Amino acid sequence: MNSDFSNLLERLVKAGVDFVIVGGFAGVVHGCTYVTQDVDICCDFSADNLLALQKAISDLNPVHRMTPGRKKLQLTEQTCGQFKNLYLDTKIGRLDCLSFIDGLGDYDQVKRESRLVEVEDIKICVLNLEALIKAKRAMNRPRDREAVLQLEAIKKLKNSQ
Amino acid sequence: MAAKQKKNNKPKRKSVQTDPIQAAADYGIDVSALIDNAGRSCTERIKRHQIALNTAEKLGKAKRL
Repeated sequence: MNSDFSNLLERLVKAGVDFVIVGGFAGVVHGCTYVTQDVDICCDFSADNLLALQKAISDLNPVHRMTPGRKKLQLTEQTCGQFKNLYLDTKIGRLDCLSFIDGLGDYDQVKRESRLVEVEDIKICVLNLEALIKAKRAMNRPRDREAVLQLEAIKKLKNSQ
Repeated sequence: MAAKQKKNNKPKRKSVQTDPIQAAADYGIDVSALIDNAGRSCTERIKRHQIALNTAEKLGKAKRL
């Protein structure tokens, strides 16, 4: 598998999926230098939005990567309500869809603390630097603590520019 | 009352605030790479990340062979 996160995100934007980039990849967008193996998004978990997401990646063989046997992603209007998070694997990379972010709250709150960035002529919502630091502090795993150090340094660099 | 006032007038302990850039450097983070990234666009950062990830994936595959 060769990852292509730009393609993955472009598909979501073009399909009209309501989402915000969060987690490690949001750090990359802000200038962190680590490598992350998946894209985390916080999204509206309404049936309409999840079905749009599923349609956007349907040709990428999406599977639930945390389930035994890696079950195929087969959401229906009825089953969408069962999920709080979706941990997916596709032909072009892992995509984690979260309905709630520790330290911030639900999708509406996360959306309020995001900003639009332009990536190859596509506008994508990304969690802002302050909120990302808050979320990483709340998670507090060793890799989050390292991310906070990078993000705080980036904040200082931005402020001194 | 006077005792209370005295208590409130205690000099506050200064919090030790380290410079975030120094803290990152002390941890072992390559600050020059952060500075380079600060001068790049989001598109460029994502492209460079993708190259690094693909390289890591190739190395991972080679290790498994």
